[in-house]
Amino acid sequence: MKVPYNYLPMQFNNTDEIFREWRELIESTDFTLGKYVAKFESEFAGYIKSKHCIATNNGTDALILGLKALGIGYGDEVITVCNSFYATTGAIVSVGAIPIMVDSDDRYQICVDAIERKITSKTKAILPVHWAGASPDMSAIVGVADKNNLVVLEDACMGIGGKFDGKNPGTFGKCGAYSLHPLKTLNVMGDGGMVVTDDDALASWMRMYRNHGMIDRDHNVMWGVNMRMQPLQAIVASFGLKDLDRVINVRNENAAFLDSLLSRSELEDFVKIPVRSNRNVETQSLYMGLFEHRDELIKHLSKNEIEAKIHYPIPLHLQAASKQFGYKVGDFPTAEYQAGRLATLPIHQFLTRHQIRFVAETISSFYLGN
Amino acid sequence: MNMQYISVPFIDLKLRYQEEKEEILKSIDNVLTKGHLILTEEVELFEREAADFIGAKHVVALNSGTDALMLALWALGIKKGDEVITTPVSFVASTAAIAHVGARPIYVDVCDDQNLDCSKIESAIRPATKAIMPVHWGGRVANMGAINEIAKKNNLLVIEDAAQAMGAYLDNKHAGTFGDVSAYSAHPLKNLSALGDAGFLSTDDADIANKIRLYRNHGLESRDNCVLYGVNSRLDSLHAEILRLRLRKLSDIIGRRRRNVEIYKKNIKAWEVFIPEEKENESSSYVMFIVQAEKRDDLKKYLMEHQVESLVYYGTPLHLHAAAKVYGYKVGDFPVAEGQCAKVLALPHHQNLTENQILYVCDIVNKFYGVN
Repeated sequence: MKVPYNYLPMQFNNTDEIFREWRELIESTDFTLGKYVAKFESEFAGYIKSKHCIATNNGTDALILGLKALGIGYGDEVITVCNSFYATTGAIVSVGAIPIMVDSDDRYQICVDAIERKITSKTKAILPVHWAGASPDMSAIVGVADKNNLVVLEDACMGIGGKFDGKNPGTFGKCGAYSLHPLKTLNVMGDGGMVVTDDDALASWMRMYRNHGMIDRDHNVMWGVNMRMQPLQAIVASFGLKDLDRVINVRNENAAFLDSLLSRSELEDFVKIPVRSNRNVETQSLYMGLFEHRDELIKHLSKNEIEAKIHYPIPLHLQAASKQFGYKVGDFPTAEYQAGRLATLPIHQFLTRHQIRFVAETISSFYLGN
Repeated sequence: MNMQYISVPFIDLKLRYQEEKEEILKSIDNVLTKGHLILTEEVELFEREAADFIGAKHVVALNSGTDALMLALWALGIKKGDEVITTPVSFVASTAAIAHVGARPIYVDVCDDQNLDCSKIESAIRPATKAIMPVHWGGRVANMGAINEIAKKNNLLVIEDAAQAMGAYLDNKHAGTFGDVSAYSAHPLKNLSALGDAGFLSTDDADIANKIRLYRNHGLESRDNCVLYGVNSRLDSLHAEILRLRLRKLSDIIGRRRRNVEIYKKNIKAWEVFIPEEKENESSSYVMFIVQAEKRDDLKKYLMEHQVESLVYYGTPLHLHAAAKVYGYKVGDFPVAEGQCAKVLALPHHQNLTENQILYVCDIVNKFYGVN
């Protein structure tokens, strides 16, 4: 039985409605920001319950825009987590700041207890990640930030549609950044991203900076960049948003089902699914677990036509790009332990119970024989 | 000619779309059917085809022309404390790119044709100067022979802002093949345009091309190995496919624009309208057709009253923008550029205009100045 990881061909199987709106856009030639982008911004702000949404080119730009708006620059230190996608650290480095990493916890989230020890006189911000669609304890993080006079920028690139203590990822800090990459739960047909904030001044600064620093065509008050979201993608995102809650429900049901199948006591020496917090509704952007003999398991799954991935086998602090920061093996034992065992299983909304059961059975047979 | 009501829009992307509707929708469908949307073969094919068109060894496709400039400067190692000699006549992104890598723009005045005045470059060179960044304004290639000579003599890098110069030539060489790295825009108002933002850069240097390829995709050598912290400045596959389609039509479009400009040149009789001469060794891409007109604002109003759209590119030179305050320039620093800013007017000349429409505009212009 085939269990593919990539669900885009199924998701975009019927694009008639999208094409209809694309035709309207193309005929209207409203290609630079314009009404479709504005429409999505207001829809998303409403959905996520934030005052302002600024749509960008991609999630990386959203992070960079947030950091810039918060005044993070050369020589500043930003505390972040060592297990994330490269763009989290990339954004910090690209504004000239220094990433100060901390370990992850048993939910693969930033280890909140480790944050305070890393604060120095140069620390300006905390950049937690809602990794894999789960959330770290945001109330605790905001508490540490407030106490130490730091700002919080959330990397909620995988967190759209989740909840922590009933609140949306990305709305705890000063700014929250999101990604609409094709493999995200809310996705577009290429790249897209956005930043949200409740702060009026930050929002208008970000709008200006995203569009060359122009107040209007003839007045330039700062040297900005081009981080505009593509209107073509704004249309896709608007469609996706309508269906998002249903999609997340299905993914969560799939995850709960797979959790129950993998929680058999016979498997406990081999398989560890992450601790699920009852304060956190996850989005299951990635369904990850820890698996002994992971690389062989993935081969075994692949032989059975089940696609699994690893997010990621090398944590950020041990990447070649991090050499300049002087980290070494052993600095973050939890994340390093996890990196050797993590696998991401297909969990998307197009899977059948049958397929999920097949995944669990294939894993069981790998460890226990038939 | 008959002065009945004719409306002449400055741009008409709708007409362009009507011309190629079926092909564009087919391109989109082709990409979506494959189910992969990021850095796919469409992007590689566009890069190869654009490189062939330009006559450069490498093209790297990016998110926007602004990103192309920023990445070009970054890849050449321009950084905080460096100075880059450039022109006050351009879109704000030219200077912004320099500011963004931490360097300082040093402006030099322009010539009649609105491109850098090469006779003034050398006196602007200081110990911190690292590069010259000419802009091929409106699609006319700057005097690259002189610029390269100065650069070579003073050991400076050359970055061509070729945002408007796709399809432009100087001495039969394509714009962007003179400097170390060149940046292009495929914004909707360019001759080679996407349905949103897009850009790319060209270079003959394989190391630089590879470095930028890494940087535009998070510094990823492979999915699991990050060798430098980069950003996301990828060109969408959808847009790559559309640009491939439009690249095949580019020469035709420029030819049609050139034809329209010829009509203007022949039929605008008023001496008050200065049309910079296109030299024999030049071939503009005609992204814009900019004239320099006396009483420009009144002329613009008069044209509008006659349903003719025109646009000012731009009323303020870069050194006088609020954002440039930090550099301490003042009114009078670049008299040629400042004088032009009061006169420049871009007339509608796009490829979907008819000869009658252009003749009508010429008539209105002549009439405004009392010429029959």
